[in-house]
Amino acid sequence: MAAKDLNEAIDWSAVECLNQKPDHTVQNALKQGYREDDGLFLESDTDEQLLIHVPFNSACKLSGLVVKSTKSPDQAPKRIKLFVNRPTIGFGEAADAAGVQEFDLSESDLEGQQLQLKLVKFTKVNVLTIFVESNQGDEGTTIIQKLAVFGSTGDSFNVAEIKDLSKEDK
Amino acid sequence: MEATVVCVDNSEFTRNGDYAPTRFQAQADAVNLLAGAKTQHHPENTVGVMTMAGKTPQVLVTPTPDLGKVLNAMQELKIEGDVNLATAVQIAQLALKHRQNKNQRQRIVIFIGSPILEDKDSLVKIAKKLKKNNVAVDIVSFGSEEENGEKLEAFHAAVNSNDNSHLVTVPPGTILSDMLFGTPIFMEEGAGGGGEAAGGGGGAAPRSNVVDGFDYGELGVDPTLDPELALALRVSMEEERARQAAAAAAAAQQAGGEGGAAAEGAAGEAAAAAPAEAEGMAIDAMDEDALLQQALALSMQVDQPAATPAPAAAAAPTPAAPSKPAGEGAGAGAGAAATPGEDAAMADLEVDDPELALALQMSLAEAQQPPKEEDKKE
Repeated sequence: MAAKDLNEAIDWSAVECLNQKPDHTVQNALKQGYREDDGLFLESDTDEQLLIHVPFNSACKLSGLVVKSTKSPDQAPKRIKLFVNRPTIGFGEAADAAGVQEFDLSESDLEGQQLQLKLVKFTKVNVLTIFVESNQGDEGTTIIQKLAVFGSTGDSFNVAEIKDLSKEDK
Repeated sequence: MEATVVCVDNSEFTRNGDYAPTRFQAQADAVNLLAGAKTQHHPENTVGVMTMAGKTPQVLVTPTPDLGKVLNAMQELKIEGDVNLATAVQIAQLALKHRQNKNQRQRIVIFIGSPILEDKDSLVKIAKKLKKNNVAVDIVSFGSEEENGEKLEAFHAAVNSNDNSHLVTVPPGTILSDMLFGTPIFMEEGAGGGGEAAGGGGGAAPRSNVVDGFDYGELGVDPTLDPELALALRVSMEEERARQAAAAAAAAQQAGGEGGAAAEGAAGEAAAAAPAEAEGMAIDAMDEDALLQQALALSMQVDQPAATPAPAAAAAPTPAAPSKPAGEGAGAGAGAAATPGEDAAMADLEVDDPELALALQMSLAEAQQPPKEEDKKE
């Protein structure tokens, strides 16, 4: 199945971001519309680390990730770790444990290029956790303008798409 | 929706009787009340309890929506040892982290009534960690408040993010639960609340109740708490003012006679509005226009001998009308549905018998016809 933007599959009520600034929340980077606006961004609060839990409505197969941050090159994320189905993971654990996949982001990656994920390790993802460990210039806070997850929703079934065929004929 | 862990101070210091009956009992009452308030605010709110003193800080109840469990745990507390704040707060954070409902926000409420052993720097470090993990912390300092003041203020400043955490100091000799009741700790998050009791325990800052140029203070309601009620009160208040102003204008005009009615009305209205404004009632330019219109309408009505309300006056043209509708009625035969005009004409000849009515109508029509024929001849 072709990889598509999984924005619609995200369970928004349970999206959680730790260490975000109250006026620069994760919604600014993740939500459709907001994330296209470079003026709206996610910023970390007390230090440079961020921990973003992205739960999905159904188990998804992930293939790509986009992290865009061009506003301030020094405040762009550098080292990020991805975890799969670890909804309770905290900062301490995330820093110590090895991620399912880890990236050292380059400048071109941060311009919105899609990062390829290891397909075999992201087959049944209920919760994706993105841990931003450090930023490019060791600044006090980290800024992310856009986050997007690509993949397929698997065998999900959308009840809203059910149509009454008997009424359609008449 | 939030999960709360209440850290209770059960150190030996809480045997002190400076808060009636003892620090410990006063605190237990306050915790019971707080747990009740939290579970009332939202059905999915949960409250847990843990002790800070004794051999080691201990979680007595993990966050639960069951108020009974909390009350029961408070009953079985033992007083012993010294408070270990740093450990206790970190255990509380762990208890919150593993809450079942991830949609709940995390909150720790610390009751502290004994000297804090940790130094300021280590507390600030823990506070930053809590802030990083999105945990809000409310602190109630009730005893040893002078020794702890600086540390707690530093802790609060470090943990506070977007005003979600509060520090309340309750002086000795007061009822702890009563003092807490009006504070933001007891209120639902985001409600704003009345008095900010931080620091002094009751030093309510004077709040301005002026919204959109309208002073709600005199109405005795807080527009932020109940906007609909406030709006309803505001509308009825303004209507009453408009009515009074219009009445004053009419009175002034009657006294002044027919001449210069509009000018008089405006002057009367201004006179009525002046004292109102002195009371702090701001009337918009829009309202002034409306008042002027009303005053003019009133003065017009006074001109008419029949002091009928405006809609009725518009519907029934003049007393001279009856003959014409009567003629029409005759032309249409004995119309079953009588028009309002016809009613007016036939008011004095109210008859039940339809034939009689027809006869009467015809006679009326005959009386009408001669002048019409004359008209035609001309």
